[in-house]
Amino acid sequence: MSGIARGRLTEERKAWRKNHPHGFVAKPETLPDGTVNLMIWHCIIPGKAGTDWEGGFYPLTLHFSEDYPSKPPKCKFPQGFFHPNVYPSGTVCLSILNEDSGWRPAITVKQILVGIQDLLDQPNPADPAQTEGYHLFIQDVTEYKKRVRMQAKQYPSLI
Amino acid sequence: MAEEESAQKMEEFRSMAIEDDESEQISGSFICCVCLDLLYKPVILACGHISCFWCVHRSMSGVSETKCALCRQPYLHFPSICLLLHFLLLKMYPDSYRRREILTLEEEKKEGTFSPQFDALTWRSGDEEQQKLSHSSQSHMKCSDPNSSMDTGSFRNGEPHASKVQSEPIEGIDSYSPSSPKQDLKQERDIIVEEESAHPIGSDQSCKQITASDVLCAECKQLLFHPVALNCGHVYCESCIVYPADEKLTCQVCKSRHPGGLPKVCLELDHFLEQQFPEECALRRLTARPRLAISENGSQKSRNSGADNELRNSSRSIDTSATHFGVGCDYCGMYPIIGYRYQCQDCIEVIGFDLCGDCYNSRCKLPGRFNQQHRPEHKFRLKKPRYVQNYMLRLVTGQLDDGSTSLVFPNEGSEDGVLLTAPTSPSDVQEDAENGLSIDFVFEDEPDSEHQNNSQSNSN
Repeated sequence: MSGIARGRLTEERKAWRKNHPHGFVAKPETLPDGTVNLMIWHCIIPGKAGTDWEGGFYPLTLHFSEDYPSKPPKCKFPQGFFHPNVYPSGTVCLSILNEDSGWRPAITVKQILVGIQDLLDQPNPADPAQTEGYHLFIQDVTEYKKRVRMQAKQYPSLI
Repeated sequence: MAEEESAQKMEEFRSMAIEDDESEQISGSFICCVCLDLLYKPVILACGHISCFWCVHRSMSGVSETKCALCRQPYLHFPSICLLLHFLLLKMYPDSYRRREILTLEEEKKEGTFSPQFDALTWRSGDEEQQKLSHSSQSHMKCSDPNSSMDTGSFRNGEPHASKVQSEPIEGIDSYSPSSPKQDLKQERDIIVEEESAHPIGSDQSCKQITASDVLCAECKQLLFHPVALNCGHVYCESCIVYPADEKLTCQVCKSRHPGGLPKVCLELDHFLEQQFPEECALRRLTARPRLAISENGSQKSRNSGADNELRNSSRSIDTSATHFGVGCDYCGMYPIIGYRYQCQDCIEVIGFDLCGDCYNSRCKLPGRFNQQHRPEHKFRLKKPRYVQNYMLRLVTGQLDDGSTSLVFPNEGSEDGVLLTAPTSPSDVQEDAENGLSIDFVFEDEPDSEHQNNSQSNSN
């Protein structure tokens, strides 16, 4: 049956509008002709207060497939994003976003975004996705922290 | 492009409908975790989690076991719709439920495959009668039942009932069933009931107040306490489940066997009952305690040998090379069928009608899963699994090393090779294949002979 992905995303959008965590943004892409593409969402994840990530508002794009919610969305930061668990392409590597390990169709957009916010300050060294972020995190914590704070300045609030 | 358009229309209709029923505040307990909408034709899995009929079916892999959308507990059987919950929701949220019904029927028509239709009257007048009916009419699969013998010619033209009430023809299936046949009343007594007859009953009950009589245990006929649902969709108190010595759980209402051990309590329903009937639940807690204590020992043991074991057993005792990928049993819901597969040669629905070895041999018969017009006199034939495909699919899934992944086509063009007789455009066929409907997968590079045989048998 077609349409499950879109139906679910309509509901996700309704739920998000009703209530969402402070500082987060999540909205479906609007095409130049004014129509809404529910399959791509542009989101902003705020860095958690009290961490090196604070002050940064990180843009994240969710790409949903027609198989959603059976399959998880692909979550991408900008290319070259500095984080041990983010691939050079920007794709986030997180267990709950992996169809074979932690993904459950019941996971909502809200849970994904909050999960990624948690991941920012709590990288998982067991599952590295880029060399630079991983090596600094393991070998040179001071430099790692510096890089994180620098990156936070790169993504100031747009509001 | 036409698809795009209709999708857009649906979208409009959907948002319209959403505005309409804003008045109904739906309890979080009855929101499907997959579509995040009101549950429609709810199915309760062995782990106790609820989802819609189509949400469950579409998320099932058809290649190996599927994991629950909430807890990832694996399951192999697609449970029947829980009628108790179905009519409860229809009573509580008539507008929203009706909206879901309309939208679902729209999509079902597009697909040409229908979910079971229910009659509120049959339900109210008691399960037993219905069960007796379907039992008597379907229990003799091999010898044709003289009571229900009929003009097979008129039946051959039969199209899914749900569509019959609509005067306009249905895309996708009208190519082989252009006329709405006048059907014998006997046929109508099956599970399939005209849409029209089901509706007035639902909407006439303007009172949304539910009573304890809506949520009774199938066994003790009291308010459900720690409800558990069996594979057949019947709901019992956890303490009312009789666990027989031979370890094969059987539904006391419909006598169908429940695969695996004792299902887990449906907590959403349990919480709802606690809220709705606090006093009755407190009373039940007092009276149920002694029985619960007795059954606890038994259920402890059985729970360990629960659904996980079911899978392990089935894969241990039966060679997995006998897996019929993408084909499900229409009685017990095993999907994919592992072991013997019997295919009905007379059912004309796109989705086909298949039984697993156990269901073919057992006497208890449940209605078909997709509103098929299956009749007792239909002939079955034993189908062998496709070894070449099995091998390839196992290779593919084996590489992915979790067994839960859905089908991966090795080449883009493979959809052209699927089921030549399917009366749909290639893109639709591909969609069906992706959704794991009962379509045999044929790869292009396969020898043509088997392929040919298969399409012939399907066109019967």
